[in-house]
Amino acid sequence: METIKNYLEAMFANMPRTADVEKAKRELLQMMEDKYNELIAEGKTENEAVGTVISEFGNLDELADALGIEKEVKQEKEESESNPRRALVLEEIRDYLQFSSVRALCIALGVALCIISVTGPILFNVLHLAGVGVLVMLLLVAAGVLLFVFSGVNSKKWSYVTKGDCFLDYAGSNYTMEEKTRYRSSFASRLTLGIILCALCWLPIVIVDSFGSLAGFGEVLQIIMLFMFLAAGVFLIIHSSMIMGSINDLLKINEGPTMSSSYTEKAYEHYENPKVDGALSVYWPTVRSIYLIWSCLTFAWWKTWIIWPIAGILYAIIKSVFKTGNNGQA
Amino acid sequence: MAEMNAGISSDVIRGYNDTMILYILKQEPSYGYEISKRIRSISEDKYIIKETTLYSAFSRMEKNGYIESYEAAGDVNGKKRTYYRISEAGLAYYREKCNEWELTKDVIQRFIDGSSYLTMKGDTNGND
Repeated sequence: METIKNYLEAMFANMPRTADVEKAKRELLQMMEDKYNELIAEGKTENEAVGTVISEFGNLDELADALGIEKEVKQEKEESESNPRRALVLEEIRDYLQFSSVRALCIALGVALCIISVTGPILFNVLHLAGVGVLVMLLLVAAGVLLFVFSGVNSKKWSYVTKGDCFLDYAGSNYTMEEKTRYRSSFASRLTLGIILCALCWLPIVIVDSFGSLAGFGEVLQIIMLFMFLAAGVFLIIHSSMIMGSINDLLKINEGPTMSSSYTEKAYEHYENPKVDGALSVYWPTVRSIYLIWSCLTFAWWKTWIIWPIAGILYAIIKSVFKTGNNGQA
Repeated sequence: MAEMNAGISSDVIRGYNDTMILYILKQEPSYGYEISKRIRSISEDKYIIKETTLYSAFSRMEKNGYIESYEAAGDVNGKKRTYYRISEAGLAYYREKCNEWELTKDVIQRFIDGSSYLTMKGDTNGND
């Protein structure tokens, strides 16, 4: 049934959202749903039922007159002839999701390295090798920054996917929905584990302390452990939210920038998406700058790391708040 | 199903989708899928109306006052659906379309190879 809904959404993606159009969509969906249910009841497989329903749907030309959308239907036809907004092929979707997951890995790993970097001075100070400690820290930060840079290397190549030059056909959105369903449970458990790790990173200190306070090296190990916990937690949060985010971005491209925005009276998803997306795209660079500026000015590296877990949790919250709003409207 | 559909050109049948829908609504009020199912079964699977065709006919005929729509809970599961019923104007329009079809059939039939039309009705034709 999801496929049929997506198909209908894709058909109407470029049509204005007038009351007439919305009503037509509802009625058409009802008819298709009735037909689908009956085919399933007759013992057809899901695929056969969807295939029959879609092949008997007809085309938008016939509705143009009745819905007062002749202009848009004609325009879309001309546009698709002169400047085809093409459907993404399955391989492209797979490659894009692969790229997104590599990018998520780079950024999450980069942030984790920045957090871990502070353990350098802490560890080597105890060994009275402060210089080595700072060197280790700088190397780790440099590795992190390198990962950030690397994460952006291929993003130009893929920017067309979400820029509205493409759309998902019904096989494509089906595939992406399946990917989402597959990733959903692992996303939930990774995110939860990440948040728990961040929230409980102080636990090793308390537990070890309850066995009697450790002096010197033991204490340092505790603090290092705290950072390791934090880094792991933040890594999980960023990595999983970014992958989920890119799957959701892909599912949104059919609603992308369309001419319907000029007709919009109510606030639709794509109405507020650009803002949120825009804000999120400068989020990590901003956090990174704050971290580096604060750290370089104060040299209080043992304090400044706190930016990363806070930023990570904040990012997860912003994303999830936005996502629920999105689902509510859909 | 595709082959059966290919048997009928949608250009030809376009003018008579309204007639089929009104014929069904004349018997009792009904909703989208039910109507398309009836069209299919009455035509013995020779014509399957597309959803978009059906909906544009509804919307056009409602605008012209031939049919009226209302919300009602349908079958067992009590799902709300848009039902359509025929109006007085719709009945008149239906009869008009029936007459038009009789005339169309009469005219076209004369040009169909192998039809026995002329030999059977040959003498009634001679009065012009």
